[in-house]
Amino acid sequence: MNDMTRQDPVDPPYRYPEYRSTVLRAPREPLVALPPNALDIPGPFVPKGFVRDGESDLTAQGRSAPLGEKMILAGRLLDADGRPVRRSLVEIWQANASGRYHHPADVHEAPLDPNFHGVGRALTDDEGWYRFVTVKPGAYPWKNHPFAWRPQHIHFSLLGSAPVQRLVTQMYFPGDPLLAIDPVYNSVPDAAARLRMISTLALETGIEGIALGYRFDIVLAGAKATPLGP
Amino acid sequence: MAAQRTPSQTIGPFFHEGLRWKDAEKVAFAETGQAIVLTGRVLDGAGEPVGDAMIETWQLSPRGRAPAAAAGASRPHGFARVETAKDGSFRIETLLPGGPAPFLDVAIFARGLLKPLRTRAYLAREEMVRADPALAAIAASPRIKTLVALSAGDNAYRWDVRLQGDGETVFFAA
Ligand SMILES: [Fe+2]
Repeated sequence: MNDMTRQDPVDPPYRYPEYRSTVLRAPREPLVALPPNALDIPGPFVPKGFVRDGESDLTAQGRSAPLGEKMILAGRLLDADGRPVRRSLVEIWQANASGRYHHPADVHEAPLDPNFHGVGRALTDDEGWYRFVTVKPGAYPWKNHPFAWRPQHIHFSLLGSAPVQRLVTQMYFPGDPLLAIDPVYNSVPDAAARLRMISTLALETGIEGIALGYRFDIVLAGAKATPLGP
Repeated sequence: MAAQRTPSQTIGPFFHEGLRWKDAEKVAFAETGQAIVLTGRVLDGAGEPVGDAMIETWQLSPRGRAPAAAAGASRPHGFARVETAKDGSFRIETLLPGGPAPFLDVAIFARGLLKPLRTRAYLAREEMVRADPALAAIAASPRIKTLVALSAGDNAYRWDVRLQGDGETVFFAA
């Protein structure tokens, strides 16, 4: 079926002209269907020791604490049946509290923070939980349209338990007025689906007197694939 | 209890440090096999290089099996993750997968892609690719050539990806 005419109820379309970079990168030809389960080979399996202790604390990677509102970000990784996706890789990257990425392509004039690289990873536990310690990222301007600013967000990459579950997304913050003008956020056609990208303030997830808490659950496509026999 | 899926968003231009793995361009397996190199470029609808993409590949082992859990390995088996360079080029070292029409499952992520593009790089002759039952819907189409990597010398393959327009690569519905 042609992606230009089909509205996916969850994911954005490839072509979304309000987000200018889609215009020359979206395919024009119809997508071709593969047989069901073609992407359902379980894996890739992250080996033991791939994620080291400390990689989930983005505030402990410099010589001292980074600037910004310290926050604990925790949530569960689930499949479409609501079951936990266990021992699965969660990777995040984000701007610092001033809205600047530790990245050579980021030319925003906001200051770098020598104590913040904005990169973390974690494995989910047996209940599907992950947990990061970080600071709240700043909003930042971009050149998509006049006065364009991205809302505060954290990028997430999830391997899931099979390629059918692979997901890259962005997590937003409740009450952010920039969400209304953000074409990336608004590229998701369904309003209820958009809201699933917004974290919730969860004070008890934080640390009293030290860090705010945010909760963000992530639901991947499909159910957990059944491992193939030998 | 059913749960509703979280939508996809673009990887954006700043993913590199966050998603970089050591040696992820060299695919690891528990088996031995025929070592091959796949190189290519990613081009946009204006024919310009896509210099800020990430490509992931997933494949069967040389004996045609699902990659095993990688006990004691430094990275997952059967899986590559590479960044394109400024000129849109990428390079993957792997082992030839098993089967009559071996292929790599490819996912492309980039700024301007609100969800990944899925395609396949076949490491087989075109007539074998056309005979793959998974491609029955396009078996007679001239576009099937876009899925066939070209021989580029001993154990070397060349495969370019065109996201849009003339010679547009076949992409699959997820
Ligand atoms: Fe960003």
